[in-house]
Amino acid sequence: MGLNPYDTPRGRLHRLADISRRQFLLFMGILAALAASLFGGIKTLGFLFPNANLEEPLAFTVDVEPDAITVGNPLQITEKRVSIIRDDSGYYAVYLVCTHLGCTPNYVTNVTNGTGVADDVAKERGARQAAEQIPNGWACPCHGSRYYIDSTNFYGPAPRPMDWVDVQYSPSGKLAVDRGKLVVQRGAGVTTKPEWRLDPKTKKDNGKTLP
Amino acid sequence: MRATGAGGPNPLVKFASQLWGSIFRHGLPSTDKVAARTALTNFFLHIHPVRVKKSAIRVSYTLCLGGLSFFLFILLTISGLFLMFYYIPSVDQAYQNIKDLQFVETFGLVTRNLHRWAAHGMVITVWLHMARVFYQGSYKPPREFNWAIGSILLVVTLLLSFSGYLLPWDQLAVWAITVGTNMAKYAPIAGPYTRYVMLGGRTVGQGALIRFYVLHVVALPLIGFILMVIHFWRVRKDGFTGGL
Repeated sequence: MGLNPYDTPRGRLHRLADISRRQFLLFMGILAALAASLFGGIKTLGFLFPNANLEEPLAFTVDVEPDAITVGNPLQITEKRVSIIRDDSGYYAVYLVCTHLGCTPNYVTNVTNGTGVADDVAKERGARQAAEQIPNGWACPCHGSRYYIDSTNFYGPAPRPMDWVDVQYSPSGKLAVDRGKLVVQRGAGVTTKPEWRLDPKTKKDNGKTLP
Repeated sequence: MRATGAGGPNPLVKFASQLWGSIFRHGLPSTDKVAARTALTNFFLHIHPVRVKKSAIRVSYTLCLGGLSFFLFILLTISGLFLMFYYIPSVDQAYQNIKDLQFVETFGLVTRNLHRWAAHGMVITVWLHMARVFYQGSYKPPREFNWAIGSILLVVTLLLSFSGYLLPWDQLAVWAITVGTNMAKYAPIAGPYTRYVMLGGRTVGQGALIRFYVLHVVALPLIGFILMVIHFWRVRKDGFTGGL
């Protein structure tokens, strides 16, 4: 029995590479075809992702006069999924998209009802003294999450507070909301009361965005 | 030109018997041999085995759950086809179309209810069928491949149920799909893309309605049908044991 001179690690590698020119070209051709198909296939998937759609713009102007929104009487724009709240410091707008699974929470004046949370806790979330506040907030109709009026979640499956969106005075003196621009976005467990406000006197926001 | 030939059979009778014979290749199955050949050469009968043990087709063994699922699938296809005559997948018209079906169109209510209850029923029978196969160990070799096909069929059934949920375009539908697609969004990495491609946008709107409609009436039933053909073929080929 003679030794096989190729039967070494290096020899085996040589034997693998020992293919004819025709085989090599066939192999490279198949490889190129596969790569092209893969690339084309992935690109073709792009068809399913629309680049344009008929969804309404994220920015809109509020019909209601700003002064008609008073402390303790937030404006609910359910179709646009925005609530505009006024307190002693100014206006802010909450984007009414439940952080659990995306339903639209309803405005309620007794948000703590049945949750075991004291009214006072909800009242302190308002800007005035607790005694003057009502325990208002939002309750989600889908799975029962509750939010204080500053959009902090405190009950139910919602993992984090609802976001605040930009609201400014439009040139016509009305309020313009831009749902594409988040001014306050808080993560899970953050209960800080945001200080962002649109000041009705200076007609400007105070720039105190979160985070 | 008269085509009656003296002595020969009446051409009309000849034609009729040829026509009959071309469709029904064999007479009544008087013997086992004729019965076997009938089953082999008839499209509608070929799905059945030529011979089967009496014990294998005992209803109390399979409870006919797969058969019931298929029956409901056919019922859903036919009733769904009729619903398509009146239903327009547009956010402005869909809800009104459903109302018309319920309260205005002749037999609209029964057609819609047939579709609705058969859909609920099919989800139930498919699950029970799967449970039956599992508890009796009917997924074991040589039937592993059919178990895999059946698992995909279960998913197709559930997706059909989910996509049909949106079509009435009422509050329940819109928010159920909002919730359902937001659940998909929680998946790592692919989540947000999945939701976007399912809805054809960021909110449940016209883009989502037409996508769910196309999936519901064309794509998913077609995939389901092809898989069912393979599923039944494999049932035939893997053989019947039944109540050993």
